[in-house]
Amino acid sequence: MSLIPFRTKRTSGMEGGSLATLADFRNEMNRLFEGFFNRPTAFMPGWFETPEPGQWIPAIDLSETDTQIRVRAELPGIEPKDVDVSVSGDRLVIAGEKKSCTEESGEGWSHCESHYGGFSRAIPLPESVDPAKVTARYDKGVLMVELTKSPSSTSRKVPVLTK
Amino acid sequence: MVSPTLAQPEAGPRPAQPEPRLTYQPNVDVCDCGAEVLIVADIPGATADGIDVSFEDGVLSLHAKVPARELPGRPVRQEYGVGDYRRSFRLGDDFDASRITADARHGVLTIHVPRRAAVLPRKVEVRAG
Repeated sequence: MSLIPFRTKRTSGMEGGSLATLADFRNEMNRLFEGFFNRPTAFMPGWFETPEPGQWIPAIDLSETDTQIRVRAELPGIEPKDVDVSVSGDRLVIAGEKKSCTEESGEGWSHCESHYGGFSRAIPLPESVDPAKVTARYDKGVLMVELTKSPSSTSRKVPVLTK
Repeated sequence: MVSPTLAQPEAGPRPAQPEPRLTYQPNVDVCDCGAEVLIVADIPGATADGIDVSFEDGVLSLHAKVPARELPGRPVRQEYGVGDYRRSFRLGDDFDASRITADARHGVLTIHVPRRAAVLPRKVEVRAG
């Protein structure tokens, strides 16, 4: 989250007048509320996850088809070899570590807004999956995991009979 | 008097609504490293050819386009929004715009903004006599 800084001088971004500033403010507030209410927190039953001190929880997307489940996580700046993806029962576990910015060159860092340190997230899956048919791909900072539902768990449509 | 017939709603599923696109400010790490200012911005999902970095009147601006989210199947959970990234930084006039470099890797944009040589502190050698 970043607050809009108080400026004493006009910048080029404010040439459009107060309407441009109001639009920026609206976008920033939308982002703030969207990020706050969509993250996993204590008042979302079933998704309660408390990060360990020094850890952070990456945001995910989860979608499903009749045969597959897809999970995407935003993990910018991570080497693929530093991410562990595993399937345990009906949970997908994504874990890894991102090096801190202050470790790289010590002093001089005035802003450090990115998430650093270890991360671990156990994601409950809507149906059981076949552990042998899981693929993971990392591209442009986004981790994409595709899981195939196990045949026994595939939902079946029940026809409604009429007398 | 004939009462007008109401238009009947079309049968079938409603067409999917396009996802509203917002513009986001990326998280950045900024280092004033003496000879240069280093800006590291998180822009996951942005394509390399959709990144635009410009420096004008002492303001560094970055704009990264992010393709729309693909949603194969039924969305079960969406915890983050998808949209273009925009952010600007007022740096001042002490920088050499012609030597600014930027590279993107694994969803992270790293921008090196070197200071002009004339404003860097010059070390004066002391001759012992």
